[in-house]
Amino acid sequence: MKKFKKLVEYFVEAVLFSSSTITSLTVILIVIFLFREGIGMFNSSPLEQNFVIVVSQKNPVQELNATQIKAIFNQDIVNWSAVGGAKDSIILFTTNDITNYYSEEELGSSLENLPAKLNDFILENPGAIMYISSKSLPPNFAGHKLAVKKIGVADFVFGEQWYPTSEPIPSYGIWPMIIGTLMVTLGALLFAIPLGIATAIFMAEVASMRIRNLLKPIIELLAGIPSVVFGFFGLIIIVPLVQKTFGLVVGETVLAGSIVLGIMALPTIITITEDALRTTPQALKEASLALGATRWQTLVRVVVPYAKSGISTAIILGIGRAIGETMAVLMVTGNSSNIPHSFLVPARTIPATIAAELGEAPYGGLHFKALFALGIVLFIFTIIVNSSVEFIKNRSRRA
Amino acid sequence: MKKVLLISLIALSISFVQAQKVNFKVKGSDTVLPLTQKEAEVYMKKNAGSSIMVTGGGSGVGISALLSGTTDIAQSSRSLKLDEKMKLNDAGKAFKETIIAYDALAVIVNPANKVSKLTREQLEGIYTGKITNWKQVGGDDMKIVVYSRETSSGTYEFFKEHVLNKKNYASSALLMPATGAIVQSVSQTKGAIGYVGLAYIEKSVKTIDVSYDKGKTYVTPNVENAKSKKYPITRPLYYYYLATTEKLISPYIKFVLSAEGQKIVLQEGYVPLN
Amino acid sequence: MTQKRLIQKIAFISFGLISLMVVGLLFAILGFIAIRGIKVISWEFLTAMPDDGMTKGGIFPAIVGTGCLVLGSMIFAFPIGVLSGIYTHEYLKDSWFKRFIRVMTNNLSGIPSIVFGLFGMALFVNYLEFGDSIIAGSLTLGLLTLPVVIRTTEEALKSVDDTLRMGSYALGATKLQTIRRVVLPVAYPNIITGLILSIGRVSGETAPILFTVAAYFLPKLPGSISDQVMALPYHLYVLATSGTNMEESRPMAYGTAFVLISIILIINTIASLIRRRLHKKVKMN
Repeated sequence: MKKFKKLVEYFVEAVLFSSSTITSLTVILIVIFLFREGIGMFNSSPLEQNFVIVVSQKNPVQELNATQIKAIFNQDIVNWSAVGGAKDSIILFTTNDITNYYSEEELGSSLENLPAKLNDFILENPGAIMYISSKSLPPNFAGHKLAVKKIGVADFVFGEQWYPTSEPIPSYGIWPMIIGTLMVTLGALLFAIPLGIATAIFMAEVASMRIRNLLKPIIELLAGIPSVVFGFFGLIIIVPLVQKTFGLVVGETVLAGSIVLGIMALPTIITITEDALRTTPQALKEASLALGATRWQTLVRVVVPYAKSGISTAIILGIGRAIGETMAVLMVTGNSSNIPHSFLVPARTIPATIAAELGEAPYGGLHFKALFALGIVLFIFTIIVNSSVEFIKNRSRRA
Repeated sequence: MKKVLLISLIALSISFVQAQKVNFKVKGSDTVLPLTQKEAEVYMKKNAGSSIMVTGGGSGVGISALLSGTTDIAQSSRSLKLDEKMKLNDAGKAFKETIIAYDALAVIVNPANKVSKLTREQLEGIYTGKITNWKQVGGDDMKIVVYSRETSSGTYEFFKEHVLNKKNYASSALLMPATGAIVQSVSQTKGAIGYVGLAYIEKSVKTIDVSYDKGKTYVTPNVENAKSKKYPITRPLYYYYLATTEKLISPYIKFVLSAEGQKIVLQEGYVPLN
Repeated sequence: MTQKRLIQKIAFISFGLISLMVVGLLFAILGFIAIRGIKVISWEFLTAMPDDGMTKGGIFPAIVGTGCLVLGSMIFAFPIGVLSGIYTHEYLKDSWFKRFIRVMTNNLSGIPSIVFGLFGMALFVNYLEFGDSIIAGSLTLGLLTLPVVIRTTEEALKSVDDTLRMGSYALGATKLQTIRRVVLPVAYPNIITGLILSIGRVSGETAPILFTVAAYFLPKLPGSISDQVMALPYHLYVLATSGTNMEESRPMAYGTAFVLISIILIINTIASLIRRRLHKKVKMN
């Protein structure tokens, strides 16, 4: 009997232990899966899989960089002489253009004549630049491939253009989004920190017990409102308000996002700051008051310095809350991929980009991978935030 | 607490039993979405026991879902790209294509804007960022705020191909996650310009007459002009499906193409086939 | 002296005003939704399928869908979270392992919901091939709430006086007996309250379900856990940003927002009622 009981105890402990490992397991799995899907983005050709850029064999150009290719397909460069070739105008050709040159019958019902027709085309148009699938090329094709530079981490992080579906060369530069995310978060904090800390001080040190008991559930409720409701509210009230107040041409701005996010970060900051203020030992406060200090002086010189690390934690967790917020921001910042130079222009954030584009990115393609890579960047941001919280906690424990 | 849980569990299982199975799924283009939704709604009312699930995501998503077998019909606002055709051929999947309606893209501005007509070249300039003030195209001295759909939508690509002459959008363009949001923003923003399907036009925005012959003739975007192909920015809307599932979905497709189905097309603001 | 008092007075009054402003913000949002939303609410709105391009009819499938997701995530997150909380608080000594688990739990709770959405899509939808389904969405939401549940449980256990545990051990009870008979009955009200509050959070999340379960339009109730469903928050997003007739779908959006907020309000109220009642009971025993 006793043995059986012991067995039960061991068994229960084993079950408890395994559940407690789930969170760690999840974090590890998240890292694995984000990287599994996202890492393929780097060091791969920016062209779609199996696609190549070819020019006629007679064309002396061997290599073009991404900017040149973009300029050519954007018709900013229209003559080969601009990129070191002969004086000949450039003819753009992507696979879908084939029907402009040959009829469906000529191509065959299951496109069996496509390779031969592509060959005909390049023979007839030596000035052509073609963006086509390598599978559809005939074996003795009268053209040669152009080398294309692979996507590097630096191109991704510091690139300033985001044209994820542009053909033939998409641009995956997320710098505008990094700046956008940080600006929106910064704005939210400028708004939420003073309001949050003032409210927390009021609740912890000034208000009577009754008022405090009234405020607490209200703050809890504010924390419970879903982000899409905030987004909806922002879209209908705050965006037009911002537009009118500042006389802007457009209301969907960093500022609108900051206000919405600021309201959303308030409960986090208030709750944690209040808890921190409450940990100040009564004895310390009484000593200060006994020395003739007013309550205000005690607050400023004793309570707040004592709760310093708790307040910093509150602010950092507020940053964490704001940086990853998705739906509300998606609805109010306008999502323009320019680098924002002020608070009164539209911007695009990392989470909003993922939410808006993942549904439409073909599974497993480069765009899909790029969005997971964005997820990695966001994950790194949150790890930095969390580590700073741990760091502050450890330091204050030692002190 | 336990009682509450138990009761809700029972209630839920009852509702599970009553629920019907989904017969087939339609997935893809957000442009076709409201139309399919309405068609499915009416079809389900007429055929009790049938159930159609409609989801969006974009034309590309619908087609790749067709390829992976997670949808029965792919709705698309563009025809299959050649590489998509090649992928389907490679997978040994024979597919069918049906044009169910046409859609015209209308360029819209705020009702307070003086400008009421633009040429294609002017539109290209505005959307590629070369024209930035309304006074450059005959309007007031006011900054142009450019609204567009998200990068991966079929509408974005269609507009790029047929209006921007395949040039890239200016990076200052505001990209909205859904067409409704463009209408909302244009109606709130004085200097705004956007493009939406005819179905989305409301009183709160003004449509722009467009010229594709350098200003000789301007055409108003409406159903008649789209039907007669006078209005240039018109495109067919497609259903793609596999030959193997044709039997399952053909009653629905027949309904969409029927006089009643095409009436819904018109009601929803799209352009019927004939 | 008077000057000091004056500064104090000004400071405290302005802090009070700021607090009032924060409360005002909340009521502005609630009022905005309630005033415009309540007109739309009717029995039909709550129990009918969406109709006429989602500009008429009701939001019944979205309510049921959100119910399914909440239930699914509860079934997953509650047992694991509570057990995990008991283990870390009652069994683990202060060691590197405990700190490790705590740091990981904190990390998990700091990860943005959209990253959970990415992860859920990669693992459940694609890798495990669940497809877009209730099960994929519920598991994703379950993982998201796990840290909240664990922390709630730990806090509740922390509030149990250590002398109770010592007393139980002194009477010869084993660890398991002590936890079952002594610690849990005392901690139970706080645990339940925490769990109910986490339900409120789950029902409002949008980003994690975007790519794992949410359907744009599906006027049927789910038949199995591998079906997609509509969900209230996503439905609100759809109504607010798409649809061919913004003017007519606006009222539906207000109504949906109102229902969503009411559900969360009700859940919060239930939680605080239960907390009060159970506290009284525990005290009486």
